[in-house]
Amino acid sequence: MPEINRRDFLKLATAGLLTASGLMGTGAFLRYLGYSTEPAPKTEFDLGDASNYPAGSRIVVPAIPALIIHAESGFSAISLVCTHLGCTVESKADGFACPCHGSLYAKDGSVVRGPAMKPLRNLSIETNKNGHLILHTD
Amino acid sequence: MKRAFLLLGSLVLFLSLAIAWWMVAQAPKPVSLTPTLTGQPEYCLTCHAELPEISPSHPVKTFGCVICHGGERLALDKNLAHSTMRGGKNPSDLAVVEQSCGGEKCHNGSAAEMRDHIQRVQTSIQSTYAGAIANVRYTFGAQSDLTAREGTYAVADDHITTTTGLPSLDAFAPTKDKNPAILAFAKNCLDCHINATPRDGLAFNRFTGCAACHTPGPLAMDATVPNQKKNLPGVHKLTTAIPYYQCNTCHNRGNYDLRTMSFVERTDQPTDRLHAYYQPIAQFTRCEYTLDCVDCHTRTEAMGDGDIHSNKMEIQYIQCKTCHGTPTQLPLTKTLTDPNDIAFRQAFLNPAVNLKVGDTVLVTEKGEPLWNTRALPDGTYQMLGKVTKQVFPFKLVMGSSCTQTGEDQSSAYCHKCHSVER
Amino acid sequence: MLVLGITGMLEVFYYIPTPENAALSVQTISYLVPFGGLIRNLHFWSAQLLLVVTAVHLVRVVFTGSYAPPRRFNYILGLILFVLAILLDFTGYILRWDQGIQWALVVGTNLIRTIPFIGETLYTLLIGGTQPGAATLIRFYAWHLFGLTLAALILMGWHAFRVRRDGGIALPPPSLRTDHERIHRFELVRREVLAMVFTGAALILLSTFIPAPIAAPIKEISASVSDASAPWFFLWVQQMLKWGDPFLWGVAVPLIILTLLALIPYIFPKPAQPELGCWFPKSNRLAQVALGAIVLWVIILTLLALLPKT
Repeated sequence: MPEINRRDFLKLATAGLLTASGLMGTGAFLRYLGYSTEPAPKTEFDLGDASNYPAGSRIVVPAIPALIIHAESGFSAISLVCTHLGCTVESKADGFACPCHGSLYAKDGSVVRGPAMKPLRNLSIETNKNGHLILHTD
Repeated sequence: MKRAFLLLGSLVLFLSLAIAWWMVAQAPKPVSLTPTLTGQPEYCLTCHAELPEISPSHPVKTFGCVICHGGERLALDKNLAHSTMRGGKNPSDLAVVEQSCGGEKCHNGSAAEMRDHIQRVQTSIQSTYAGAIANVRYTFGAQSDLTAREGTYAVADDHITTTTGLPSLDAFAPTKDKNPAILAFAKNCLDCHINATPRDGLAFNRFTGCAACHTPGPLAMDATVPNQKKNLPGVHKLTTAIPYYQCNTCHNRGNYDLRTMSFVERTDQPTDRLHAYYQPIAQFTRCEYTLDCVDCHTRTEAMGDGDIHSNKMEIQYIQCKTCHGTPTQLPLTKTLTDPNDIAFRQAFLNPAVNLKVGDTVLVTEKGEPLWNTRALPDGTYQMLGKVTKQVFPFKLVMGSSCTQTGEDQSSAYCHKCHSVER
Repeated sequence: MLVLGITGMLEVFYYIPTPENAALSVQTISYLVPFGGLIRNLHFWSAQLLLVVTAVHLVRVVFTGSYAPPRRFNYILGLILFVLAILLDFTGYILRWDQGIQWALVVGTNLIRTIPFIGETLYTLLIGGTQPGAATLIRFYAWHLFGLTLAALILMGWHAFRVRRDGGIALPPPSLRTDHERIHRFELVRREVLAMVFTGAALILLSTFIPAPIAAPIKEISASVSDASAPWFFLWVQQMLKWGDPFLWGVAVPLIILTLLALIPYIFPKPAQPELGCWFPKSNRLAQVALGAIVLWVIILTLLALLPKT
């Protein structure tokens, strides 16, 4: 056991206790700020009756935001949140364009030109027993 | 020397922070519930998670706790959380019932939709006690006829639908009467109306307001248990299947002695339903103790018809013939064709009853469906006990060997032959 | 003050200054946010401790004659700081917006109204409308966070600066001094840090076990409330207000007392040079008696107010 004189031990103990106190204080501070007063936003949306989305249509739902496509194979949905930094992209004839930094996407959501690197997300969509379209964003 | 102080100081600081952390870790984790009807998170379940659901029609996920009880929904300190609760443990006390149970879509809505429960109860004779008060005041010369003028509280009714309905009642204030008999009546005889504090004793144990009937207390039937405790624990339950012993917290408890103007409690110690039901001097038939009170007595009889009446005889109208008919008449029936009929709403609450569109039920003279009865296609009749869940086939008077004259429908008449020996 | 600033800033992250949400956000901080209760209690207790310490400091200054020239101006600065601290405590109290503060808000603002000529104007400026409401809350929030705080910070800096400029802690001039020891500035810092550590620990313990007051949110500003006690530092005024005219007892008398305190360095005989810094010097007995009388007055009234009502 290495020798340590009393003065140095006490200095070490003081420093240790103060550090520990500091850590506890910082921990409390971080936990305090980490609390969320708002509930998490919902991830399931009822889009209304499926007949409002006739075959062959591509309809933008701005509240989500998402594009609902009714193809021959059924319903699909593309998220309109730009994968770069989150602006809502605009749906154009040949694809999507983001007004913030100029990202361009093709009609299927894949990236044509950056700065975005990832394609627009596909969202799961289904028809429930009441004939309503239910969209999931998670 | 300074070093020692700094060491001591940092030790004390460290300990105080450690204690603070430990206390926070100890505290119960807040449990949040966001009821569908309010959309605002409530934290009552942090402490009250073991409380059972109050009823199938008031699920906590939809209602939460605060919409009925009041209280501070975010507070986890007992005193603050309970400080703004309505009515203490009982939000249905008539003083606060409109805020707790009221609302257009709840129990204070339109009469046409049959959602006017609160208004009916507030004018009902079980709440106003107007009949007893009128009779005593008339007997002792405080008023000139039996028309009620006073009730246990002042109440007014601006929409009178019956011929005997009154526009208003004043609050019974015996001090102005000065008659010693009336004063004694006020002192001894007013603990059996819906908003009164009941007497001490297990036999009388009930809440006030809506809960007086709809929240069953502990089994008052077991009168062999010594009834000394006053504040028995509450029961978190609302039901329409009200057992007879709940009615018996007021009814069949004893007699009034008019000479001494006091209440004499019944002294028997019943151990079974037959003896518990009515007090020793009563006369009754078998169905009157096999069924529960609610199996026959209707919504209007118990909760009133929305008018202020002077006497219970103006509102009580169920008779033996309502179900059994007379020698010349069949009981009234109704085939349910409208899926929105009140009968379905009422039957829905009782899982033992399976009412469907097209079923035929008995109906009273005032049109109230007796949804726990059935007139079957093969000509037989049945009643289901709302509380006991038993099925009772019953016979009609018509075609039987009954020697009744159809006009005499006083209960004493049927009892003459059909009453039961204790 | 450091504790107050830090905990106050942390509370700003969760406090919502609208009448509908204020009391609820205080409940959120107290019960739902991790360590929120601790932060709020720390803020409350350090605020009350500040008032007590400031009062004790004032008494010490007078009882040791430390207000003598050249320290008279600094004494006035200190007195202003004392008033600012009281106002900060009061505005913070109001921000709870619960039934416990309801009457203090109404009475306190109505007292302003009683001032002749300028009362109504001052009242409207203070509450931002015709009756206490949403605008009042925001204004009290602004005063508490910025208006009063900025003034207090500036004056505090000036007050500390003046201590140094006036030659440090009051002592007789070097020629008359019997004890020539001087405290080194590093030593002063060490003592300060030590005091902070011990005070911090004590505050944390106090805050962990004794919660700050909280009550149900205000329903209607005019609704009746059972507990109508003033905050503890105004109980003496509440007691006086039972005696008669509100302007006299609620505004004039406290202002007179404040003026008296401010005049102590100017009207009473100055403490003699050799006795500067010593406790209870003979030379300014009169000043000590005057302050003693005022302190006794406030304490007795406060105790009377605390007696249970018969």
